[in-house]
Order: sequence, then structure tokens, then C-alpha cells
Amino acid sequence: MSKRVLVVEDEEDNRRIVHDLLTSVGYEVIEAVTGPEGVTAAATHVPDLILMDIQLPGLNGYEATRRIKANPALRHIPIIVVTSYALSGDDVKAFEAGCDAYISKPFSPRALLAKVREYLP
Amino acid sequence: MNGKQEQKDKKLIHPSYFTLHHYSDWLPRLVAQVPATVHTKLLAAFLAMVVLLITVGAVGLRVLSGANHRSEEAVGLHRKIAAYRQLQHDTTAQLYNVASALLAPDERMLEVTLRQLNQFGYDLDRLQFVAQDEVELLDRVQHEYAQFIQIVTRVIELLRGGKVAEGRELQLSQASPLADRLERLTNELVNKAEADMVARVEVNHEAYLTARWVVIGFAVGSIGLALILGYAISWSLIEPMKQMDMQLQQIAQGDFSHRVEVPNQDELGTLAANLNRMNEELGRLYQQLDAANRHKSQFLANMSHELRTPLNGIQGYTELIMDGIYGEVPEKIKEVMERIQQSGNRLLGLINAVLDLSKIEAGRLTLSLADYSMQGVVQNVFTAVEPLAAEKNLALNVDIQPDLPVGKGDEQRITQVLTNLVGNAIKFTEVGKVGVQVTSLNGTFVVAVSDTGIGIAEADQQKVFEEFQQADSSSTRKKGGTGLGLAIAKKIVEMHNGRIWVESHLGQGSTFRFTLPVRVEH
Repeated sequence: MSKRVLVVEDEEDNRRIVHDLLTSVGYEVIEAVTGPEGVTAAATHVPDLILMDIQLPGLNGYEATRRIKANPALRHIPIIVVTSYALSGDDVKAFEAGCDAYISKPFSPRALLAKVREYLP
Repeated sequence: MNGKQEQKDKKLIHPSYFTLHHYSDWLPRLVAQVPATVHTKLLAAFLAMVVLLITVGAVGLRVLSGANHRSEEAVGLHRKIAAYRQLQHDTTAQLYNVASALLAPDERMLEVTLRQLNQFGYDLDRLQFVAQDEVELLDRVQHEYAQFIQIVTRVIELLRGGKVAEGRELQLSQASPLADRLERLTNELVNKAEADMVARVEVNHEAYLTARWVVIGFAVGSIGLALILGYAISWSLIEPMKQMDMQLQQIAQGDFSHRVEVPNQDELGTLAANLNRMNEELGRLYQQLDAANRHKSQFLANMSHELRTPLNGIQGYTELIMDGIYGEVPEKIKEVMERIQQSGNRLLGLINAVLDLSKIEAGRLTLSLADYSMQGVVQNVFTAVEPLAAEKNLALNVDIQPDLPVGKGDEQRITQVLTNLVGNAIKFTEVGKVGVQVTSLNGTFVVAVSDTGIGIAEADQQKVFEEFQQADSSSTRKKGGTGLGLAIAKKIVEMHNGRIWVESHLGQGSTFRFTLPVRVEH
């Protein structure tokens, strides 16, 4: 059974790029557009990995991460936070929210894939 | 926010509050409040001094004339006493003469007696001049004298008539008592005059003492008044001057939060009001400028973010196509895709540089300070730029002092600075080598990036650290690059309390050096 990755991202192109990239190497991709949707989708689908954008409508990525990590049933899911371009301090905030790794935008699909493979070999 | 506002208010109140207290001397304050020009005030003070001088002079003159008058009086008294003494002397002599003449009556003696009596009359006339005050006493003397003359005349008539016994009888019974009384009266006059003299001396002494105190009092009062006047006027001018000087210093330092508060209603008051107006206007302009600059930075930050989002899409899809995610790509298209990617990367670099700079200028770029290894930083940069150097057949030499201490700073930003410097060195060098040298001295890293490239003219060596400046602006197009790299590098180095500079000669290569404190704590 293929591994499932939840992508929480409001930008359609970014979502599609990640989707195309991950499905091409055999992952199953679930998509969510807003923060609250991301939290709901995490609970519904219990994915193997979550890619979380920071600037999201409704609920920002930090808060969404915090809520998912607060749920004992979902706590084990690794979350990779995607921060905007190198805003100093974002990494600290991301780790404080409980994420497992972060990658800063703009990311190359190859670098993202390498990061995902660290958690889902 | 509230705390900050409070602090600001405190800052606003603080200086004028203090200077007002310092300015608590009511007299200079009072003078300052007089609604007259400085010129008028100075003139008034000068006139006041003149009036005081005249007053002191007048008082002195008055005292002097009083003293003169008293000495004249003393001379008069002296004359009077002398006249009285003469009178007394004459009276005694005459009475004696008359008495003796009557004792041995012959015609010659009687003649002498009559002459003596006349002499006595002259004395009395003289007395009338000097003893005008003693009218009553003088009347009595004249009265007695008239009687005496009458009686003596009769005695002499009797003696001439041969009635010697009768004459002696009259002499003894009437003339002698009268003579005694006259003597007593003249004595009384002398005594009285002498007593007057003593009293006058006493009065003179007291008048002198009084006059002395009046003169001293007036002189001291005038000096005191002059001093107070001088103090009040000068401080009513100096104090506002000092305050305005302080205010100007603060303005010169870019602090517009204070106001001058002076009570003056003269030229200085106007000057202070104008100073305050200038201060407000400058402060307002400064704020506008600051706000405009912040808007610019905010705009750039937002803009570059907005530009990057679609660019991410372009770059992402390009890479996916090149990686064959959407199917096999013919070699010819792959080559074009690579060019799209390169252009995209350059555009991204430009946008990121603008964002960096605008964030630094808006003060929104904060350093993430953590321990780092300088060797590691150099190694990462070396790995990143090595292909570029190899492409141009340039030697890339790295010389790192062994056992460098562990640094503390923003590793990502320091890497950015070094990447920029080495990248530039490779970009502007066609033949030869690029070298990186790192040493540590007295708690400071010194990083030098040298090349054998085109070099920078001395006149341009400062300019290269400014935004959108390359030494030769035509090279921007040829060599690529944003013209922002060194400006950003300089700001990052300075945020670490370091320094960056260049040593170069045109045609002989350049060496860029920067220093960084090994441990940057804040």
C-alpha cells in the first residue's frame, strides 16, 4: 500500500506541483486548501506525512500544526512546514509549534522530494 | 504599546519640566515677562543706573552743604562769644573806672569816665549785630545801661557841682547795684553763648553721623540695586539662550520631541517661538520621511512576495518537466527549459535581494544567532561556487587558519555574504585565481576574498557598497547580478558589528575583507 501524504497549501500551482511530483514516484496525495480543512483532513485520512504551508487562510500553518500535534491519535505523523523565503525566526516558530522539519520556499521539487524521502523511505 | 506611549510622554515632559524648575528664579523670570524689547530693557537699566548715580551725587551735595552751613554757624557763634567776652571785659573795666573816678574826683578823671561810658555804648551797638537771637536779654542790658548812664551822668553833675557827698551817696545807692546787675547780665550772655556753642558742637557731631549713614546707605543701596538689575536682566537673556542652545543640539541629533519653554516676551521669546515652530515642522517632515521610507520598504516586501508566488510555479513546473515527470522530453526542448530555469533563477535572486534589502531597511531583518563553524561556512560556499570557478578555469584557493574558535552569529546570513563575495570574484576574473583566507585575531574573524580580476578604481571603491551600483554600470548587463549583493553584504556584516571594505587597484585585482566578532551576542 502506498504512503499517503497530506498537502495543506492554498496556492493551486504549488499544490499541483507537489501532487505531480509525489504521485510520479508512487505516493498517494491528499490535498487541503485552508488551515481548518487541513486539520480535518489529517483526522479523517490519518496520512503518513503532512506538508504544511504557513500562510494559509483561516488558520495559519503554525496553529494547524499545533492542533494536529495536540491530537494523541495524530501526534506520530511527521509534519514538514513550508516557510516563506528565509524569514529569520520562522524556523524557531515552526519547531515551537511542534513540526518535525521545515523547508523554505522557494523549494526545488528535487529538494522537497529528498526531504519527504527522509521520512517516507 | 501602552508602555511605549508612556515612555514617549515621559520623554516629552522631562526636559522642559527640569528647565522650568531650573528657571525658578522669579526676578529674571519677571524681567523676562516684561513685554518690551531687549533694547528697551537695556536702555531702561542703563537709565536707572544713571538716575541712581545722580541721586547719590545729590545726596552727597546736600550733606556737604549742610556741613558747610553748620561750620558757618560755628564761626558766627565764635564771633558772638568773642563779642560777649569783650563786652563783659569792657563792662567790668568801665565799672571799675567809674568807681575809681568817683572816689578821686577831678575833671580829667571825669572826662575819662564819660569816654568809657561812650565806649560801652559802642560795645552794645556791636552786640546788637552778633546777638540778634538774644533780644530779650539785650533789651534788659540796654535798659539797665540807659539807667546806669543817667545815674552816672547825674553823679558826675553832682561831683562837678561840688556836691561830693551827695554824688557818692547816689553812686553807692544806685549806680553800684546797677553796675553789678549789668556785669551779671553780660556774664549771663557769655555763659549762654558758651552753652550754645557746646550744644551746637554736639548737634554738629550727630548731624555728621547721620549724614555719613545717609551717604553710605544710598551708595550701598545703589550698588545693590545695580547688581540686582544686572543679574535679573542678564539671566533673563542667558537662561533662554542656554535653553535654545540645548534645543538646537537636540534637533541636530535628530530629536524633535522637545519644546523650549521661555517666559520671555521680547526678541528671545519670538526666537524661542520660531525655534519651536521650526522644530515641529522638522519633526513633521522627519516623520513623513520616515513613514514614506517605511511604506516603500513595506511595498517592496509585499511586491517581492507577490512576484515570487507565480515564479515558484514557473520554476516548479519547469523542473518537473525537465525531470520527465510529464513524460520524455526531447533534448532540444530540455535545453530551452534549462534557459527558462536559469532566467527564473536570476529573477528569483533579484526578487530575494530586493526583499532582503527592504527588510533590512525596514528593520525587520533579525539575526538568528547560534553557534556555527567558520570552516563549515567556507566549505559550503566552496562547494557551491566550485563549478563556476571550474567553468572559467580559475584556481580556487582556500586558506583557513587551523583551530578557529567556534563562532556565534547568523550562519545563513554569513554564508550569504561570503557566497556573494566569492561569486563576485569569480564573475569579474577572467584569468588567474580566486582566494579565500580566514584568520582569527583578538576575538575577531577576518575573512579576505582576493582575485586577479579587473580591479576597482579608487573613486568607485565606496560606491560598490551602495544599492544598484557596480563600478562599471555596463557590466551589469554583461555579467548579470543585481547590484544589490554588496549593499546587502555590508548591512549584514554591520548588523553583526563587523566591518567590510575593499582594497584594489584597477587592473590588478581586488581584495574584499570583512571582520566579524567571533561571538555576536545581540
